[in-house]
Amino acid sequence: MEELLKMVHKVSDQAEVYAIEEKKSKVTFENGKLKNIESSIQSGMSLRVIKGKKLGFVYTKNLIDREAFIRSATESFKAGAEGQIEFPSTGNVHSLNTYDPSIESLTNMRIVEECRRLFDRLKGRSRGQINIEAGSVTKRIRILNSRGTDLSSNISEYRIIPFTLYPGSFSALSRVFLGKSFEETPEEILDHILNLFSASEKEVKIKAKKMKVLFLPETMYVLIWRLKSATSGRSLYHHESPLSEKIGEKIFHEKLTIFDDPLNDRSPGARAFDDEGIPCRFLPLVKKGVLKNVYYDLCYAKKLKAEPTGHGYKTDMWETETISIRPRPALRHVVIETGDLTLSKMIESIDHGIIVGQALGAHSGNIANGDYSIGLSPGLCVENGEIVGHVKDTMVSGNVYETLRNVISIESTTHHAPCGRFPALLVDDVMVSTKKV
Amino acid sequence: MFEKLISILAKTDGDYADLRYEIKRETWITFDGKELASIGSGTTDGYVLRILKDGGFSSISFTRETDGDRAIRIAQGDASIISKNRKDPVRLAGADVIQDMSFPDLEEDPREITMEEKLDLTRNYNNIPLQNQKVVSTNISYREVIRNKYFMTTEGTRIREDLITTSIGGIITVKSGNSIQSVRCGLGGSNGFKDLRNGEDEFEKRTSLAVRLLDAKPVESGLYSVLLNPRLAGIFTHEAFGHFSEADLIEDLPTMREKMRIGNMLGSDLLSIKDDPTLPGQLGFYKYDDEGVRARPTQLMKNGALTGRLHSRRTAASFDEPLTGHCVAEDSRYAPIIRMGTIFIEPGKKSPEELLEDLNDGYYFLDSKGGQTSGENFTFGAQYGYRVQKGKVRELVRDINLSGNLYETLQNTHGIGIDLQLSKIGGCGKGQMNMRSCFGAPHILIKNVVVGGI
Repeated sequence: MEELLKMVHKVSDQAEVYAIEEKKSKVTFENGKLKNIESSIQSGMSLRVIKGKKLGFVYTKNLIDREAFIRSATESFKAGAEGQIEFPSTGNVHSLNTYDPSIESLTNMRIVEECRRLFDRLKGRSRGQINIEAGSVTKRIRILNSRGTDLSSNISEYRIIPFTLYPGSFSALSRVFLGKSFEETPEEILDHILNLFSASEKEVKIKAKKMKVLFLPETMYVLIWRLKSATSGRSLYHHESPLSEKIGEKIFHEKLTIFDDPLNDRSPGARAFDDEGIPCRFLPLVKKGVLKNVYYDLCYAKKLKAEPTGHGYKTDMWETETISIRPRPALRHVVIETGDLTLSKMIESIDHGIIVGQALGAHSGNIANGDYSIGLSPGLCVENGEIVGHVKDTMVSGNVYETLRNVISIESTTHHAPCGRFPALLVDDVMVSTKKV
Repeated sequence: MFEKLISILAKTDGDYADLRYEIKRETWITFDGKELASIGSGTTDGYVLRILKDGGFSSISFTRETDGDRAIRIAQGDASIISKNRKDPVRLAGADVIQDMSFPDLEEDPREITMEEKLDLTRNYNNIPLQNQKVVSTNISYREVIRNKYFMTTEGTRIREDLITTSIGGIITVKSGNSIQSVRCGLGGSNGFKDLRNGEDEFEKRTSLAVRLLDAKPVESGLYSVLLNPRLAGIFTHEAFGHFSEADLIEDLPTMREKMRIGNMLGSDLLSIKDDPTLPGQLGFYKYDDEGVRARPTQLMKNGALTGRLHSRRTAASFDEPLTGHCVAEDSRYAPIIRMGTIFIEPGKKSPEELLEDLNDGYYFLDSKGGQTSGENFTFGAQYGYRVQKGKVRELVRDINLSGNLYETLQNTHGIGIDLQLSKIGGCGKGQMNMRSCFGAPHILIKNVVVGGI
């Protein structure tokens, strides 16, 4: 990498090399059967070069021809993409514990045994089909640039997700257990999905109207996705955000505090620096309902004359190959601060409402506007403080800037979920549409 | 290249193994508003090895040839674990041994078009929405993906196939006061650069639509009869029905497998659905899947009755049904899974005008914003729509998401148009992205659909 950096710096003003090595395995159990074990050993690198005000970007996996690779990079900046950024000169960053070496001795056989153990624990207690996904990832990221930045990080992750499925569909309740290496799955994860499932086995009908809606942590991404879009430097720069010039204004209920916490290394995936070599930091987004900050990568910080916040990541929503993505503003460690009620107490407080167990179609609403309109898969019906069954053919819809003003209560624990770590959230006055009874 | 693959495969110790090496070269040009945000090209390559041993079937992908021995050890170890932990061994349906090469017959090879010309064309299309004062931003990209695939098996199959996909498209965003509306637009296909030319009309119409949506009212949530245009009915076909024709999704889901038995009447007798990756010139075209099985047309539903499903070699054996050639991977990071190729509802007899009359009161929804399915339930978004009163199109509506039950909705399909159209830009994210996923339909009329609104 050092040699490549030297070579490319000779033909440019600034240069950056990003390299990743990754090893993964994934085990799938369906209906008690070990269905698949898939493994992967991947590596690759990408190169950003700047000359004058132009930025070039290329990537490769097997670096067969180094000269040709550098030639592609120079051709790319000659064509004229804007690149008035300066790569950072980052020395010390926070020392984080992101890697547990014991993951190296974790075998696929051990993961299979844990899946089998979970299946046996769940099957006796549930009439629903049990599926389980589990796997491990180790990766090493390194960033070198021509201003002397040389950062690297080793990351390890183990995950397991049990699902209980409703008959005739993939509609399921689930909860992920994450660690930096293998640990036995805690009983409370199994109890959570079994309790919700057994209480909601019966299919029930409801009438369409506005009502209380409880978003489980697994579905909070539907709402957070809209907030992430609106607080991105990219959206602000392109006038696509309804939150432009609203820093300091109350946008949500005062019970809501939301922040990005990349430095918390108790969870897997903590980051001391982003994919551009900018140091990561704790970033309050919303404090007691008031919008506090937005986030930037290098490019949009420059365009908006702001300081980069350490949120330039090579990521997208479709698991595109990391090296092929240019850094863009992204929040990857979002947390909603806990409230003061257990999930049971929150459910007990609902006279008539719906629990969103999993969401369908979160990507197809008007995200920029904050609108959402999702299918429930499943939706659990609550009457007089008790779950009485599950509903089909039902949608929940609204606008995040209205919905999150109507917060009733927040769960007292956070859970790992898509997009971050969230508690369950109970809100009022959300439209639920369904077939006529 | 095949000599290299032979030397790796020769080291495997199993009942069957296959190996795919693939080079994927992508070229992109992206405009963010009036700024050229990125331009360039990049290449990825790598290997995917699958091993069947004593009824255990595993896969591994790896980048470097030097990792070959390690990859073989891991894959064989994983196959042994599966073998010891399954009561029913995995079997693969017998497939013809094929030695062939297939290269696309393009109308203008994008590799022969200069970067300058690609840039000019993308800039021209991007400039169309930017001329409108209500447009606050665009995100318009040229994308060219060239896959060079080398596939061989221990049975003797050896296939070399190239797939080339191009598109220009993205999102146009307009704003007025606090209202922001975004509209997707684009051209594309797998038939060469010619697919991308003369597309000004698409960008002009999409810009006009985005601006008109600013003044449209959100649709009122409720239960309605709806007429879907071909672009939207295509995504309905893909989401509501197509995924359950993919045998890997229901192989180990007994309750769905029972409902999806061949011969079951799932739809109205008007409905006939086919998947055909061999249709020439279409986005979803390929000759061989990533198991080396020749793709073939598959009748999935005929007059409402389930007549077939899409298979890999593994599921064809499990279901004891014929191979179809639908096991496809995104790139060299992945083992193949079952995917739709070109799925479509076969045309009926009614014109769109007749279907509007049949609808009488309800909504006419047009174009797709994507969808998702969870078995019997599905959700998909419409780009825009019109309220229909007494068979006449009335005011424009927006913020449309529809939800339904697979079995009820197929039964509630009451009218099929004559105007079959297939998609030019695809995309399906079932575990891996399939940018060549092609879907289509004529206009279709469905009764009793839940509309979410906002």
